[in-house]
Amino acid sequence: MPMYKSPNVHGHGMNCGEHALQNGEVDPSLKALEERQDEVLRRLYELKATVDGFAKTVTTPDADLDASTPSPGPAESVFKGTADLDSLLGKDLGALRDIVINANPARPPLSLLVLHALLCQRYQVLSSVHVHSSVSAVPPPLLSCLGPRHIDSYARQRFQLGFTLIWKDVSELQMKFSTQSMCPIEGEANVARFLFRLLGAEPQDPAAATQMDCWIDKAVFQLSEGGSKDRAAVLRSLNAALGRSPWLLGQEFSLADIVCACFVLRAGQTTSAPVNVQRWLKSCQNLGHFDCVYPFLQ
Amino acid sequence: MYKDERYNNLKASGMLCLCVAGEEEQQAQSKKALKKQQKEAEKAAKKAEKQAKLAAEQQEADEDDFAKDRYGICPMVQSQQKLDRALVRVQDLTPEKAEQQIWVRARIHTSRAKGKQCFLVLRHQQFTVQALLAVGDRASKQMVKFAANLTKESIIDVEAVVKKVEQKIESCSQQDVELHVERIFVISQSEARLPLQLEDAVRPEGEGDEEGRATVNQDTRLDNRVIDLRTTTSQAIFRLQSGVCQLFRDTLINKGFVEIQTPKIISAASEGGANVFTVSYFKTSAYLAQSPQLYKQMCICADFDKVFCVGPVFRAEDSNTHRHLTEFVGLDIEMAFNYHYHEVIDSITDTMVQIFKGLRDRFQTEIQMVNKQYPSEPFKFLEPTLRLEYKEAVAMLKAAGVEMGDEEDLSTPNEKLLGRLVKDKYDTDFYVLDKYPLAVRPFYTMPDPNNPKYSNSYDMFMRGEEILSGAQRVHDAQLLTERAMHHGIDLEKIKAYIDSFRYGAPPHAGGGIGLERVTMLYLGLHNVRQTSMFPRDPKRLTP
Repeated sequence: MPMYKSPNVHGHGMNCGEHALQNGEVDPSLKALEERQDEVLRRLYELKATVDGFAKTVTTPDADLDASTPSPGPAESVFKGTADLDSLLGKDLGALRDIVINANPARPPLSLLVLHALLCQRYQVLSSVHVHSSVSAVPPPLLSCLGPRHIDSYARQRFQLGFTLIWKDVSELQMKFSTQSMCPIEGEANVARFLFRLLGAEPQDPAAATQMDCWIDKAVFQLSEGGSKDRAAVLRSLNAALGRSPWLLGQEFSLADIVCACFVLRAGQTTSAPVNVQRWLKSCQNLGHFDCVYPFLQ
Repeated sequence: MYKDERYNNLKASGMLCLCVAGEEEQQAQSKKALKKQQKEAEKAAKKAEKQAKLAAEQQEADEDDFAKDRYGICPMVQSQQKLDRALVRVQDLTPEKAEQQIWVRARIHTSRAKGKQCFLVLRHQQFTVQALLAVGDRASKQMVKFAANLTKESIIDVEAVVKKVEQKIESCSQQDVELHVERIFVISQSEARLPLQLEDAVRPEGEGDEEGRATVNQDTRLDNRVIDLRTTTSQAIFRLQSGVCQLFRDTLINKGFVEIQTPKIISAASEGGANVFTVSYFKTSAYLAQSPQLYKQMCICADFDKVFCVGPVFRAEDSNTHRHLTEFVGLDIEMAFNYHYHEVIDSITDTMVQIFKGLRDRFQTEIQMVNKQYPSEPFKFLEPTLRLEYKEAVAMLKAAGVEMGDEEDLSTPNEKLLGRLVKDKYDTDFYVLDKYPLAVRPFYTMPDPNNPKYSNSYDMFMRGEEILSGAQRVHDAQLLTERAMHHGIDLEKIKAYIDSFRYGAPPHAGGGIGLERVTMLYLGLHNVRQTSMFPRDPKRLTP
């Protein structure tokens, strides 16, 4: 017989959950709670993995390209690299991967027309031009700026890539690809960078890549948006750089040349440009990729 | 108590013959009867007094009414005389007519008396103008009183001077002028109690709830359609719908199409047995046509090349949804092509784009008017029209998390989701989906030449909802027979149809849209009954 009576933990006041535990069963509400906790933890791990993946991509932009290829060879007019479309554009689900570009007819994106021509050399591209209802009419040259309609255009799935240009009343040029997983890319230069990546011709060397970005930014902020003083300054830097090498990055033609040449041409007054710049523009013209641009220059 | 009341009622209606009653009861009755008689006499006396007073007032009034020739209720217009009087429309009342004395016929939208003045708002279709009648040397007190007491919706003829106003009258469509009334006559009076108030009928839904004011529900509108159709919103909707029909016809005629009329009483169900109305036809029965499909095709086999028809379509589908009617107006196209059915898709989509452009450019007033009550995003489209393939749609849906088979038909929610995805990427409310799986299409659809699981068929969507289903048709009698057998269709019933392809038939394709649905989706409305003047659905046969 105990010396004192202790409260009976197995008594009436106990709730059925505790009672059940005594028997080895699990209270359903507790089980649900545990399951929820597991689910939340699992999602947290997934998110962490995704963010880690992004961090990796951001810090090493060329992480998925083979860094063991040799440095640039002799000047070539056609990009010979290859790009992994699946990793850049997402898995091929058996349907046309369509890149949509919304541009204002008042400011045709000349560098994108050049890039389109280059893409057509590399891939089977289905090109279409549409006029959005926000614009009432568009001059005919803008309707045929991507060239004649491909004879197989009735069978969309035969193409690797779609290039859909929509003339629309937008303040800023905009590119859309996979609206579920990608936010729109804005600005001609940024879209140009994206399209250039599809050609697999990005400079491997980080210094060269940075220099390329630098020239592109100069074109956008000073040539296009800057005043006449800024424009003059850019033309002088271009002249200086082109005195040392045939192309802006050295021996190899790159996106920097495409974007800067287009912006210089669009600004006009190319006959009064410095000597090296004029020579360089002539070289660009000789490559043949700029033919699509000339109808839009004043 | 109850028994007495019933007794009194029966007695009063003269139906009771008093047979037997206890003496007490009889006494009670006579007391009651006496009381009643007294009351009635009093009442009659009072009434007589009142009438005498009124008559006296009336006489007095008549004596003082110098304006009694300038107002009144006209005798019913039975074409008694041919007046050579020009009536100006309310929409033409502009500052250019200032100081002119003109006649206007319009409805009374509102009338409000304020002391010695009466403010009227006169309305004709979508246009309203303010009119003022004030006691003065032209109008007497009685005239102003008469005007203030006119019932809403009555049709009146008014002679007035057009006056410019300094401050814009925001509440009317004619904001820069008002009418100073000289004469006012009623042409057709309206009953005082209206089944619905027009200002309630145009009130946007949200606003009604917020301010505690009434809006009118759809059934009430449809039951009193004649009045509901008078609202500015309804006028705008149906004028725009008329525009759709007009643009459809004009565009196709310009493309060299011929308009045809097809029979609606037919011997066999064209689309499939279940959803067809039967009519008694002398000693047998016949059916109301579910679509002009078979006859359009026969016209192509008869060398008309490009045809279209506008006419009623009857579907006995017991669907009570926002987009189904049992009778609607079908706008149908059928066209022979040279080598590829995309020639026909291009023609159809171009026609739709021309309709959208025509509405955008010429019916903005109507679109804005509808948007006041039913706000919506303006309708966007691309030219040329966007054409996606079924496989792309499936890929887009899968990327958005939908699980579906490659050859499965699109469910309505998937169609809506697809519409949103397409809108997101291409910013268009109208597109074509091409190359549907063969298994989900009717027996007369031409299979794809390279992949037997797919077909040369297409659907077109507006704001994520299907508006057209079309395809290249099988124009070979043998293949058609095989396909019909594959679908388990009784060949006897479609013998005449198959026969039309036996004597040389060109390759052809086509499709059809519903006028009401297209109008509804273009304006961003949510129920097809709003765009059908006198809608028919499983629950409604009248008006």
